[in-house]
Amino acid sequence: MNESSTPLVLVADDDADILALVKFRLERAGYAVLAASDGEEALRLATEQSPDLAVLDVMMPKLDGYEVTSRLRQREETRDVPVILLTARVQEADVARGFEAGADDYVKKPFSPQELGARVQAILGRR
Amino acid sequence: VIQTLSWSAVGLFVLGVFFVCLLAARRLHLARREQRRREAEERLRPFALALVEGVADGLAKPGRRDRPILAGLLERYARHVRGSPRERIADFFERAGEVEREIRALSGVRAWRRATAAYLLGAMGSHLAERPLRAALGDPNRDVRAAAARSLGRLGAAGAVRPLVYSLIRGDIPRTVAAEALLGIGPAALVPLRGLLVHPEAEVKTVAAELVGLLGDAADAAALHDLLTDTSAEVRAKAARALGRLGAQEAAAGLRVALDDRIPFVRAAAANAIGMIGDHDAGERLLALAREDRFEAAQAAARALACVDGTALLAAARDPANGQHVAEAASVLEVRS
Repeated sequence: MNESSTPLVLVADDDADILALVKFRLERAGYAVLAASDGEEALRLATEQSPDLAVLDVMMPKLDGYEVTSRLRQREETRDVPVILLTARVQEADVARGFEAGADDYVKKPFSPQELGARVQAILGRR
Repeated sequence: VIQTLSWSAVGLFVLGVFFVCLLAARRLHLARREQRRREAEERLRPFALALVEGVADGLAKPGRRDRPILAGLLERYARHVRGSPRERIADFFERAGEVEREIRALSGVRAWRRATAAYLLGAMGSHLAERPLRAALGDPNRDVRAAAARSLGRLGAAGAVRPLVYSLIRGDIPRTVAAEALLGIGPAALVPLRGLLVHPEAEVKTVAAELVGLLGDAADAAALHDLLTDTSAEVRAKAARALGRLGAQEAAAGLRVALDDRIPFVRAAAANAIGMIGDHDAGERLLALAREDRFEAAQAAARALACVDGTALLAAARDPANGQHVAEAASVLEVRS
């Protein structure tokens, strides 16, 4: 877990525009943000930096969001990191797959930055 | 002759070198232009992000020359966000006169420019564009019509549902584009779609039933149930599928009657729907269909039986007289379990 007083949030998306939008919103809300552009990088950063929360895109190169979530849950040091999936796939089965992989919440694309910020705050506030 | 050929070869060589140099210079120019665009984007990104978040008031506004790049950046952001950020982007384009300019371009001479305008108006997200885009559904060029349909879907223009459905039926726009636009409008499309369920034309009812099945809820079961006895087989089949998608338990009795429809694909659709609803009472009739009916209906009935009564299906599969569809569905069920 991140030792600093500013909560650290990992954001992973292969779309640079979405990454910029999410990063800007979370930084304005007072979080420190780690950005990754694919699943492997997200997993590496999560292991190295122990973020307080991860916002993961589902469709990413190298490792998709489900796989990253599942691997985070398998590792001792990242087992408790809450995960929010950012996804354009909101069919019942896709949502269920996300929760089965270990996600805590999901946000549908196109997304409301305000809603995403509120969900991040709600999860981190509970901890 | 040899001298002429020599001079020709030299001429061709010089010409070749000239064209290679020209292509290299052009490539260099394009690369530099792209580099300048990227740099400008990086410079404008903080302002664009602040504008999306509604905190750009204190920041220096970009100059006129930067406007097209800022517009491109915001147009990309608009694809990813909804709610107030999207409204702020639309507001920016309206104030900058971009919406008005693109609306004017919709009545331009060149088709590619009209199509570009129709596409951009959807990305800008301004509701001022709804009416001109609806008019563009009647454009003589198919690409313009498709771009207008797509943009109306992005704008969530409920007022465009009827013209989109008619365009879809007439084949004015590609089916996938129309369907995506109608689904993009989302639940707001339901009110006009419900009205179309009682339209006199069968084709309109077919499209409406399919979309209500995708967008609707339990409240739509009654209207769809009435369509199970429509004179058009296509309408009956789409209504059955829609009821299945909605999981309308109250329609189970009507769907059981539809298992005896005279058209095989309606029977197949009814069997699928019963499988999705999980109507236990239809087990015997499904088994009879799986054993005796034509390929499509028999296969659907066997698969539906796997959903409603797997034990009965596995027992029936032990008797070879029940046919290949029962055996196949039982094998799939065993693998899955």
